[in-house]
Amino acid sequence: MVAELVLWGLVIVLGVMARARSPTALSEAGRRALAFARALAIRLPLALLAASFLTQILPRELVGAAIGPESGAIGILLATAAGSLLPGGPFIAFPLAVSFYEAGAGLPQLVALITSWSTLGVIRIVAFEWPMLGPRFVALRVGVTLLLPPLSGALAAGFLWVVR
Amino acid sequence: MRINRTDLGFAVFAAGSGALCAWIGGIEAIEQALGSAGRTLLTIVPLFAAGLLLAGLVQQLVPRDRVKGWLGTASGWRGLLLAVGIGIITPGGPFTSFPLVVALAEAGADIGVLVAYLTAWSTLGLNRILVWEIQLLGPDFVALRVAASLPLAVIAGLAARAVAARFAARPGSK
Repeated sequence: MVAELVLWGLVIVLGVMARARSPTALSEAGRRALAFARALAIRLPLALLAASFLTQILPRELVGAAIGPESGAIGILLATAAGSLLPGGPFIAFPLAVSFYEAGAGLPQLVALITSWSTLGVIRIVAFEWPMLGPRFVALRVGVTLLLPPLSGALAAGFLWVVR
Repeated sequence: MRINRTDLGFAVFAAGSGALCAWIGGIEAIEQALGSAGRTLLTIVPLFAAGLLLAGLVQQLVPRDRVKGWLGTASGWRGLLLAVGIGIITPGGPFTSFPLVVALAEAGADIGVLVAYLTAWSTLGLNRILVWEIQLLGPDFVALRVAASLPLAVIAGLAARAVAARFAARPGSK
């Protein structure tokens, strides 16, 4: 609810500012928004549907056990792969992460998993990023991002080692 | 409204995962999935509409020469750090951040800046951390994850600059 209020408040403030600057600014902004909405109108509900189906059948116990604290670098790489396939927004992914933790996942592995879900999530890339930003941008961004989830897992392991 | 090949791909993907879901979890799993997808859609539609309008307005309001100076190719470390800061405070989901990237790119922002922005938003976004992560995973885990994620956005931005210097790639180009 707070997020909605903040965003719509911003829309109103910026809308008033745009209208003050030029009489055509509002309709131009609306036209662009509508063009994007059209591009996503079909694939967004389908992506949500697919993510919900996959969430129902994800083998949580299996994933949690495979990325345990003793799984080390291999576990971090597995967690990176699993994270990129994790469906949905934070309302789906974080509860899943909790269930992986309860099933035995290690902390550095969980950090890599969440970084991977945030930066390399396949569903978000295909549903949003590709149609909006184009394949070349996606290829470049994914290319320079591939190593970041394992890096964050390794850093987390390092921090935990220093703290203990 | 035209249906293109990507949309068709999504339809096949949704149908396939639905069939798998029915096979493994039965009718009960299908019912739960449909309910959660419907609730999610209702939640994100107002956010999405606001995000798209915001991006359109930002495009109208932010002067191109300013964006070029602050966030363009010659903006150096200052541009990258500014992008990380904006990424951390951007509210909302992909419905706000991706349209904003398009708006900034068209106004002349540099590719390293855009990649740093998206990486900071996705790994350090304050909104998501406060609303979801602290509640569900607890402050200790969040502290560890944030500490391990701090350098990522700048690394991604620098790497993107280095790569783009060799292969010109812009958002929107095919």
